[in-house]
This record gives sequence, C-alpha cells and structure tokens, in this order.
Amino acid sequence: MTEKPKESKVDPQITKKLCEIVGEKNATDLKHIRYAYSYDLSFVKRKNPDYVVMPTTVGQVQQIMKFASQKKISVTPFTAGTNIGGLCIPENGGILLDLKRMNQIIRIDAESHYAIIEPGVSHAKFASALYKHGLRWSWPVGPPSGSVSSNAICHGIGGMSGRYGLNSEEITSMEVVLPSGELVRVGSCAIQEDAWHSCLPLPRVDGLFTGWLGTTGIITKIGVRVHPIPPILKVFTASTEKIGDMASYLRTLGNYEICDDLTGVSWWLSQVPIPYPYKPKPDGVPEWVSFATTFSWTEKEKEAREEIWRMAFDEEIKKGSSLKETQYPAEALKARTQLPSQIVGSTKNYTKQAGGGISWPGTFTPLNKWEPVYDAWKKILVARNLSPSVRVTNYRGVHYGMLRAMIPFPKQDPIAVENARQAIVECLKVDLNNGGIPYKPPVDFALEINKRAHPGYISLLKQVKNMLDPNDIMNTGKLAL
Amino acid sequence: MKWDIPTLEELENIVWKCTACGNCKGTYEFGPPPTFGEICPAGVEFGFDGNMASKGKIAFARGILDGELEWNDDFLDAIYKCTVCGGCQNQCELDHKPFIPEIIESMRRKAVNDGVGPMPTQKVIAQSMRSYNNPYQGPRRVRTDWTRPFKKAGKPIKDIMKKDAPILYYVGCTGAFNLPVRNLPVATASIFQKLGLDFGILGENEICCGSTAMRLGDVDEFKRVAETNMKTFKDLHDNHGVKTIITSCAGCFRAIKKDYSLSDEYETLLGGIQVIHTTDFLYSLFKEGKMKFTREVPWKVTYHDPCHTGRHLIEYKIDKDGSQQWIGSYLGKNEEHCLYDIPREMLKALPGIDFREMDRIRSNSYCCGGGGGVMTGYGDWASKNAGLRIEEGMSTGAEHMISICPFCHFNLNEGAKRIKSPMKLYDLVELIDMALPD
Repeated sequence: MTEKPKESKVDPQITKKLCEIVGEKNATDLKHIRYAYSYDLSFVKRKNPDYVVMPTTVGQVQQIMKFASQKKISVTPFTAGTNIGGLCIPENGGILLDLKRMNQIIRIDAESHYAIIEPGVSHAKFASALYKHGLRWSWPVGPPSGSVSSNAICHGIGGMSGRYGLNSEEITSMEVVLPSGELVRVGSCAIQEDAWHSCLPLPRVDGLFTGWLGTTGIITKIGVRVHPIPPILKVFTASTEKIGDMASYLRTLGNYEICDDLTGVSWWLSQVPIPYPYKPKPDGVPEWVSFATTFSWTEKEKEAREEIWRMAFDEEIKKGSSLKETQYPAEALKARTQLPSQIVGSTKNYTKQAGGGISWPGTFTPLNKWEPVYDAWKKILVARNLSPSVRVTNYRGVHYGMLRAMIPFPKQDPIAVENARQAIVECLKVDLNNGGIPYKPPVDFALEINKRAHPGYISLLKQVKNMLDPNDIMNTGKLAL
Repeated sequence: MKWDIPTLEELENIVWKCTACGNCKGTYEFGPPPTFGEICPAGVEFGFDGNMASKGKIAFARGILDGELEWNDDFLDAIYKCTVCGGCQNQCELDHKPFIPEIIESMRRKAVNDGVGPMPTQKVIAQSMRSYNNPYQGPRRVRTDWTRPFKKAGKPIKDIMKKDAPILYYVGCTGAFNLPVRNLPVATASIFQKLGLDFGILGENEICCGSTAMRLGDVDEFKRVAETNMKTFKDLHDNHGVKTIITSCAGCFRAIKKDYSLSDEYETLLGGIQVIHTTDFLYSLFKEGKMKFTREVPWKVTYHDPCHTGRHLIEYKIDKDGSQQWIGSYLGKNEEHCLYDIPREMLKALPGIDFREMDRIRSNSYCCGGGGGVMTGYGDWASKNAGLRIEEGMSTGAEHMISICPFCHFNLNEGAKRIKSPMKLYDLVELIDMALPD
C-alpha cells in the first residue's frame, strides 16, 4: 500500500473555466482521473493534481497558461509520464496539462533532414513515420510510448548519442508558450515562420527551455534533426572483467568516432530482467559487456569499421586488458539495438522481476571517474540487496560520458521503495562528489545538486526562472531552488 | 459447482506488477518497418490516462485497493467505458499481462457485488438474462424465427432434444435475436445443409452462454447460465450423441471455451465434447477437400479480427512453480488457437475475392468498439468507434469488411451507417455460402 497524498482542494469554478477553454470532455477534476496521474515508475511519492486538462491547440495552451498565471495555479506539463524521476508528478497539485492530444507530425523534411512535431508525438509514431522516408531519430531505451519532444528537452539520450550527442543537441527550433501565455519562438522559425532548420547562428535561447524540466514554458512545437538509415548494421560486442578495462576500451574505441552507440553494461544490467533482489554474478562470466553499434552504407565501409574496431581492440590487449570478444546476451542486445524497443520500453528488462518500480542515479560523469564511482555504487547497492545494474556510455566520441544504474524495486512494498530511494540518493552523492551531474533529476537529486552548486549559479537560475515564470507556476518545486 | 473467478483483492499482488510505462497505450512493432497504431478505443475517445489502456485501469484498481477511490457515478462510468478488448494486454511484457482483462472485470465484479454496477442501461441486460435467459429481452419462441425459411423450403433444422445428432449448432443470442445479424445463422445452417452435415439446434431451449453477464461483472448470472449450459451439453453428449458443439459467435466461443473452464467440473461435464468455432470447423472440411467453392464472389474485401476469436484465445505461459524464473513470471504466449490465418486462408480461397489487409490486424486488431458491454451501455460511442475501423477498412480500397463475430457484424455496420460509408460488414459464412453450390 502506498502512502496517501494530502487531500486536494478542488475549486469547481476553476474546473468550469478550464472546461470553457478546452471543452467539457477535455478538462476534469474527477478524482479517479486525477489519481491516474499521481504516480509513475519511480520512487517519488504519489501526489494528485487538482485538475487535468487536455488541450488540442496552441491557443488553448495559451489561454490555460494565462488563466493559471492570473490565478497563480501550478501547472505540470505531461506528455506520456514515462520518465523515471517523478518529473510529471505535481509537487503542489494544480493543473496537470496533458499534451497527448497535440500529437501531429507537422512536417518531415526528407531533403533537409529535419522534422517538426508536436509534444504528444511518441517514439513509436515518429519511428513509423520517419522510416517511410528512410530516416531515423536517436531512439532512447525508453518506452515507445514516450514523447520525442519531452526526451529532447530534458537532455535525453538515444541510440545515436555516441555520434551526435544528446537529443537536446538535435533541436533545431521551438515554439513555446510562456507561463504568462505569451507565444514565443526559438531558432530559425523565430525569423521566418516556416523555417525550422536550425537554432544557430542566433543566440542559444533554446537553453531557456532545455534541461529545465518543464519549469519555464510549454513546448508546443519542436524541430529536430533526423538522419538517414544506412542499410548495414554491425554491432561489435566485447567483455571485460573490470570497469577500468571497459572504460579504457570505450575511450580507445571512442577516439575513432565510428560508433553510433558505444556502451558498456554490468552483468546485472545485461540480464533480462535485472535480478531483484541482488544475486551474485555467476563465476566465470565477465562483469562487463559492451555493444558498439556501427552503421555503414557499403560492405567496404563496414569492413573499414571492422578494421578500426580490431585496431582499437588490439591496442587494449597490448595494455594487458581483460578485454575479450564475446556474445552479448541475445535478448538484451536486441533490446538495445532494435530501437524503440518494447523489451526495455515495457521495462521488461528493468522491473519485471522486482515488480512495478524503477528509478536511477542517471548522470553525466567523466569517463575517468567511472571506475571509482562504480566501485562505490556497487558497495552501496549490494549492501542494500540491490543489483549494481550499471551502464556507461560515451557521447560524441569521448567528449563526455554517461554513468547510470537502473534500480528496480517492488512498488507494492513501501519499505523496499524507501530502501531503493536511499540507495539511489547515496549513489548520487558519490557521483556528485566525483564531478558527475544527474540528468532528469527528481527533487531528491535537485536538493543534492543545489547543496553543491556555486551561489552564482543558483542566483542565475533564480533570476532566469523569475524572468520567465514570475508567479512560479510551472512544474513548481521540481528545481528545489 | 466451484468457480475459480478471482476477486480484485485476490489479484492485488498482480496489480502491483504494472510499472505504468504506458506501452499499452498503442501498438508498436520494431519491424522493420516499424509500425504504430492506436489500440485502445476508450483512450481514443476519452483521452485521459485513467481511461486509457491497462495503465489507466490498473490505476483505478490501485485506487480501489488503497481505499482512495470510492464508487460514484463517474467512477463507475469510467470502469465500464472499456471494451475489454485486450488490445492493451497484447502490448505488455510484464507479469500482470496474462491477467489484464481479469483485473478489469474483477473491478466490475466488485461493483456488482457492492450493488452499484453495472451501468443503468446494462442493468436491462442483467434483468433480461434473468427473465428471458438472453440479453435481448427476446421471448424464447423468437429464438427459432431465423429457421422459418428452412422449414418453408422443406429443409427443417433438427431440434436436437427431439432428434439426436453428433453436432450441436449453438446459435447464440445475437444471431437469433438481433435482426440485422440473422443472416449469420441462416448462412451457417445453409452451409451445413449443403455439406450434408447431421446437426441440430437447441431451438427454444437454448439459453445465453453468459458471456455478456461475465463481461459486465455479473458473475452470479454468468454462473447460473453457464452451469445450466454445461449440464445441458453433458446430457446432449451422454444421451443425444453430441460430440461437437459449433458456435458462430465469437463471444459464445470464448465463454464456453475459456470462461467455462474456470469451473471445477469443466472436464467432467464437457470432457469428450469438441467446442469449435464455425470458421475453424469449416476449415477442416475445406482442407479435407469436402468443401469446394465453385461460385464467384468478385468482391474487394478486408478482414477484421474479432477480439474474442483472436487475442482473447492467446494462451499465456506462466511460471507456476518458479522452476524457470520465479513464481508468477510471465514467460511467453502461444497464439496457436487464435483464428488469424484460418479465416484469411478461407477468404483467399473463395473464387474472385480480392483481399486487402488493414494496418492493425491479428493480435493488434483494433476493436470494433462493441465488446465488454459497451454496445449496450454506450451505443453511441460503440458505433462511433466502429466508424473509425470502417474508415481504416476503406483506406485499403476494399468494398466490404468480413469478420466472424455477430457483435462486430452488428456494430461495424452501425459504424458504417454512421459515417455514411458504402462499406458493409459480412460474416465469412455468408461469403462461403455464396461460393458453395446448392
């Protein structure tokens, strides 16, 4: 049984006004509807919104924001609610702005390789549409039902982040409704209404809306770069006994910049599902396995990539690495290379055994810190009977890297949920102290980030937030400022 | 007779297996090519996450179980605004997957048990079941109205209680009482006669299979008719030579095959009796060369997979003793009994047929919108949703849509009328009857 949230204070007059804006069928304060938005996959405690609204037009979003701003009502934007940090759970009630009905793919420019989409477009829908043009996006290992736009603006990653970086780096333009209801544009579409190809060379004001966890405005349209699908996929798989050897291999191979995705995972994460509770790795199997996806247009190009991979491999062997060519577990490999994937997306990979819950310390951590952080995480997690199911990934060659642990827990059991939460926060503290930065952080993480932040950074955040959202209505509390 | 029909409380541990990942909201296959489609009729119509797919229904179940959600008219309405089509179930990969329709129906059972369910319009069905033994308020003598043309033609259909036969054609209430669907039993009996089969019907003694009552959560009424039927079937088997029960109704088929098996006397009463859908039965004859199609049916058609002859017949493998993964782990599914290939193969075998597929087919078929008591409780929405399916059918270039369920038949035709589409829904047996020589 979960802890009950405090009772909502629903004002029928507010519901009435919201119904006037979006129509009777698209706004409600019914408790059972609100309840369904009160939790997600994560350890974050249930909190009900007071109202749920489903706009279908930009004009409606503007009217809702203007009204909410006047009345100082919190607004929590929601597309699919598939993040694992409680980002769409309303901290202070108010309006849950469900954008799923704004789900049009407005344009796919197959010549200039960008698309314009609304926030409710799912990865599944986008994948199906792009494929018809021979195009793809950097699909995350998240549910196919997740929102492309939300993933991008929250600095999500995907299967091409090894080559292109974060999905937020692929944003080309945006249309945003500010908390006041004002409609603004960012990128080329701000200068010419129909031009959505690039944020540059204008000032990077897209940064006012990326990484802010929906606390600065509502993205109503977004332009994103899309990429052609080369026909030949070659996945290189290797294993090491230690994280240090894996990090070295990923660094060496990353230097050559031949991979779309270059990832190492601990034995526990390579299992489908992640073992819960913790069980020791069997003797004789490597602790780390890696997949490196490469795409080629011709067989010769593929062979060249194979040659480079072999070169990197040999370099590591000369260093005395425990690196070996190996078979990556078949279902896990499928889950990570056939994206979007229902295997990871349904969290079959993550939560099937534990049941219902999954959260993470998800961080950007420099590659040279992976080893000490992993070693510490492993101690923390094993001590709490949780699997050290960790992933490390290079972004854009070796420029920066990701380190995260997927921690499943049985959501039915509050003690187990709290155990996981404490373990995750402990892991996060270790990572922060080693220079890592969490992404898509729940409030528990934001508190830890802010404790360590330069006062000038916090001051700047507050000033920007105050400028854009003077009444502090947007996804209130999420930044823990 | 004891029944293994779980309460919501008994399913609580399973309810908690859902992660709320939301994959149940739409169909998706990696391919390549990747495919995507809407799968939840309630989600398409009502949109809020609570209304949508199993993610929403699980939230309702959790709310009831943790005491935060109590019955009121709006909540009850939301519980019944679900076609229980199993489309969401097909997307899920977690341990509650095999139980998703059961969880939804267990909430309805609780509602009925608590004296608040089903919805007022659906209560008419429950009352009709008690008064008439069918959900259509049809007097029992009307059950055999569809047989009149056979009598008139000098080919009367055997009353199996009076004259023994190895085959019982269990007609079902919709085919018997729902006028626009009567072509279905007529075509079925016509085919059987053309093939010279020795069959009979229960006629005025037939009573409802109980499917509708079960879908609405009226478990007592379901048990009443199911127990009566099973005893009747046993008597027919023991004393009237019945070896096979054929039904052309997807709902009846699912009920007799699956819901009745929840009884501890299922094997005792139905052991030795083959229960088979008309399509499957005719397919065997077709494969044995006993059914030759000689007449042209020069139609462009598409095929709609009913939920009850499709994904509702999927068998889910569960680790019951923990020997493979852990107790209760969902291990995989077996679609062997789903009627996917058979109707398509039969259709394609009809001379002159130009067959077109829709995007959402087989286990990802988009429900017509009539199931789960929705056609009775929310007729307007049911036909609106059917109109969406008809539009999908029309997009293939097909002139007509074919199916093997009288509920889909009625509802999809209502949908076609609603959107003023020239497309009509025919049952496969109607086309087979057309293609067979007299």
